[in-house]
Amino acid sequence: MTDAAAHATQPGRSVRRGPIARLRHSKTAQSYALLAPSLLVLVIGVVIPFLILLAMSFWTRQGFEFDTTMTTANYARTMDEPIFGAFLMRSFWVSGIATVATVLLCYPMAYYVAFHVHSRKMLWIVLMTLPFWTSYLLRVFAWKVILGYEGVINASLLGMGMIEKPLEFLLYSQTAVVITLAHAWAAFAILPMYVSLEKIDRSLLEAAADLGDGPVLRFLRITLPLSMPGVIAASFLIFIPTTGDYITPALLGGPDGAMIGNLIQLQFGAVNNWPMGAALSIVLMAWIAAIGLVFLFVTRRAQRMAA
Amino acid sequence: MDIVDHLSAVKRGKLSRRAFSKILLGAGIGMVSTPLASGRAAAQTGEQGTIFTWGGYDIPELYTNYEAANGAMPNFAIFGGTEEALTKLRAGFTPDVAHPCYSGLKRWVDTGMFQPIDTSRLSNWGDVMPRLSSLEGNDSGDGKPWLAPFDWGGTSITYRTDLIEVEGEESWDMLWDERYSGQLGSLASGGDAWWCGAIKAGVAFEDIDTDDGFEKVAATMRAQRPLIRVYTDDTTTLEQALASGEMVAAMTWASSAVTLASEGVPVRFAQPKEGALTWVCGLMLHKDAPNPDRAYEIIDALLSVEAGHFMIKDYGYGHANARSFDAFDDAQLAALGLSKTPDDILAAGHFQLQQTQEWETKMNETFEMIKAGF
Repeated sequence: MTDAAAHATQPGRSVRRGPIARLRHSKTAQSYALLAPSLLVLVIGVVIPFLILLAMSFWTRQGFEFDTTMTTANYARTMDEPIFGAFLMRSFWVSGIATVATVLLCYPMAYYVAFHVHSRKMLWIVLMTLPFWTSYLLRVFAWKVILGYEGVINASLLGMGMIEKPLEFLLYSQTAVVITLAHAWAAFAILPMYVSLEKIDRSLLEAAADLGDGPVLRFLRITLPLSMPGVIAASFLIFIPTTGDYITPALLGGPDGAMIGNLIQLQFGAVNNWPMGAALSIVLMAWIAAIGLVFLFVTRRAQRMAA
Repeated sequence: MDIVDHLSAVKRGKLSRRAFSKILLGAGIGMVSTPLASGRAAAQTGEQGTIFTWGGYDIPELYTNYEAANGAMPNFAIFGGTEEALTKLRAGFTPDVAHPCYSGLKRWVDTGMFQPIDTSRLSNWGDVMPRLSSLEGNDSGDGKPWLAPFDWGGTSITYRTDLIEVEGEESWDMLWDERYSGQLGSLASGGDAWWCGAIKAGVAFEDIDTDDGFEKVAATMRAQRPLIRVYTDDTTTLEQALASGEMVAAMTWASSAVTLASEGVPVRFAQPKEGALTWVCGLMLHKDAPNPDRAYEIIDALLSVEAGHFMIKDYGYGHANARSFDAFDDAQLAALGLSKTPDDILAAGHFQLQQTQEWETKMNETFEMIKAGF
């Protein structure tokens, strides 16, 4: 009977608890408290600037000031004027090729470390991320030296007598941008692909071999499908930031290699049309999101069909 | 526990995770504490004035007088174009002195962020060429100028005398010559390129703001676009390309030709028959200059004969101080496109005129479109 009385008083006790004490005991509040530091950074560093960008994209320029009447004129311009569409297409093209090239080149490296290196794997990984120990700008600049008119490639080809005069398409071209992006982002491709390859259960491969699959079929039926999450992650990690890349096309692209990032920078710089730059940024984000979703959908579909 | 130990450990493949973490920790502490050291250094030089200027003017040679008086160089902030500079100022950046060019003077004055200069505080003011100090629009009202003219010069063509065939007189046609397609370079800023295009198109600078004139220049720039290897505001890129033979001619300032010639590259700074583009830049005093005394010292140092000698000899630019030219003979000056009586050059060249903000914006927008291929 006393037990029952004690039980009966308990709900009453919890009602009497102050709001602060209740907060301290709430699971939701605790998890938000854990998240608070990163949430704060996200809100200040991402959400608020994004909202400002979004609002600005509906404004118009008036000299150095803004006309804050809401209008979709900037978005209409991105549709109507061919320059914006052309730059977007070029950016997707260049960064798409760079993504494919990077993933194709890095997959064997990740595969090798995951399957054929048995000791000191960490050292291998560290060595593969070595290019990342120098600043991005320096890496891009180094490529300018390598691809240049009197650069390493031209000088050695000339020295071997394989060409008469330096190859001009190497620098100030889309080729130069693709080569540089593929090198500069390599580590972002290797790491996720290595992780997903490393996770593959080796007994599955043995089972496939027992059931009569040769090395090629085994790779196609076991390794590749199971490492797809890594490949997809690598593609996203490269495609999204390279589409808006600014410094690589600015230094190596020349007049025909400029990309959407350069166009956006111009709006905030020489052209001095911030609302237009904001609208372009939003359009770029929307396109990347759309392409990402389609890519995700297609790969999911393909995986399900394979399975 | 020194670096060599770690290196040999890596070589032997015996670097332990603990040792690796220690290295990372050391590197991390080093990186985190670096800003502290530079912060202290900045505090020491905080007394100095700040000049907001173009790249290339941040060198000790121009501030010898200032350094002698204050024991340190002024602080520098650099901009690469007028729009960039004005944007930064509007965002609240407050230097003591800024270094705009005359063609944009009205736009700088209109920001309302500058105060007229009290020339009685400048010991070198008496030697400044009147033609420069009395430019139209420079008088703030009571005889005090907005802008203390400092440097002037030409924008023209630097070309390789051994790689290009000059037919007859030097001319702007060289930068539109289809035989050298893909071997020509240009400054990327419309502040230079558009005006040179106007000279090439035969549009008088008075008409540059008319619809007809604008279209003519735009068509000229569009015709040049396929021939250009690269548009850049980085003069080093143009100089290296000219030195290697990647480019045979490029639109540059005189300093590029002087730099290349001093390295033994066979170049000439053309004096085109249509005339070169003449620009004048100068110094303005910020309304809320944190160190006004230092600001006047910076301006005075830049107007001094010592700074002038350096400007003429090493950059090939004209200087506002008339006495700066005395140390050079006629041949030296002629090779730089300058003269003992700089007034002649200023009178003969195409002198950039002030334009409205609307025109600048329209021009920049159009030129960027043209450069992008539209």
